[in-house]
Amino acid sequence: MQTLDAADRVGLGWRGELAAAILEHLGSLDVLEVIAEDWVHGNRRDSAALATLSRACPVLLHGVSLGLASSEPVCRRRLDRMARLVARVEPELWSEHLAFVRAGGIEIGHLAAPPRTEATVAGALANLEQAKRVVGALPWIENIATLIDPPASTLDEGLWTSAIVANSGAPMLLDLHNLYANALNFGTEPLELMRAMPLDRVSLVHLSGGRWIAPGSRKARLLDDHLHDVPGQVFGLLERLAQSVEQPLTVIIERDGNYPPFEALLAQLDLARAALARGRVLRAEQTRQAA
Amino acid sequence: MKPVSLEAFLARLYTDASLRAAFLADPVAVARGAGVDEDAACSLDRIDRDGLELAAESFARKRAARRANRRRLPAWLRGLFGR
Repeated sequence: MQTLDAADRVGLGWRGELAAAILEHLGSLDVLEVIAEDWVHGNRRDSAALATLSRACPVLLHGVSLGLASSEPVCRRRLDRMARLVARVEPELWSEHLAFVRAGGIEIGHLAAPPRTEATVAGALANLEQAKRVVGALPWIENIATLIDPPASTLDEGLWTSAIVANSGAPMLLDLHNLYANALNFGTEPLELMRAMPLDRVSLVHLSGGRWIAPGSRKARLLDDHLHDVPGQVFGLLERLAQSVEQPLTVIIERDGNYPPFEALLAQLDLARAALARGRVLRAEQTRQAA
Repeated sequence: MKPVSLEAFLARLYTDASLRAAFLADPVAVARGAGVDEDAACSLDRIDRDGLELAAESFARKRAARRANRRRLPAWLRGLFGR
């Protein structure tokens, strides 16, 4: 796998529904992110198509089902499949979530936040080491959104994430809408939560949108559903991130449905580029003043 | 009783509505009865109840929707790129 480009980049998550428009507008996209699980069972022609796509535009592979952040060991069969896909596609990098998706033989069906404890830090570190051995490289690891304050936790999100990132050596994929949703849902300032993350290890960023849900008498919470535009506050966090870190950032906008006209998605990409540019200007001014 | 990991118990809670109802009526006893160790079982007394229901509903929706949401490259594009 290669290292990331030396400049900030903005791209989009590949979705079959967007395929034609993406291919028509490849020149407007610096990078594409592909969901690995959509391709691990593909035939030779699928793999060849994805490999061809990766030659036309840098491709990142994004896993959603390994469940690396658990005191239970990662499934070797799934890791082998990821390894084969990485070998076939030769992406720039691969990524996975700091989540568990199954335990005790039960499939949850989506990303769940594990208890933030020393036990799950240790489990995540063992699973990341195993992933590195099997796939050949560590994944970029992503913070997830959660609607439930992770039960039985003894560490806060910043400490837990930092412990895994620091001790594994894995780079971080920072999902700013996940971070924003967790901050609002559990009473933290988004900027404060962002600053608690290991920002020096962040080189990949996800942006997405969500909606407020409040069934029955329950308190409203922000659901990260990938079905809505990226809110302005999240672009604001991206600007602050670009101001805070020196390393180049690759930003991916994730959209899983409720698709607007493709021009509207391109406009969201432009907003991301603008936020990055503003942040970099502020960083340059900071550096100049400090000199 | 065979001990179970906390994640294994949470996976059951997130996917089994009847277990969830019993748990919310008496969290510590149900967790103990499932084999969760004593410290973790006691900590579940303070579980985020609204969050548990919301998360379980969200996971159920995701399980139902996931296969429909993402598609491979359409056949006509595979033909274009996959040779």
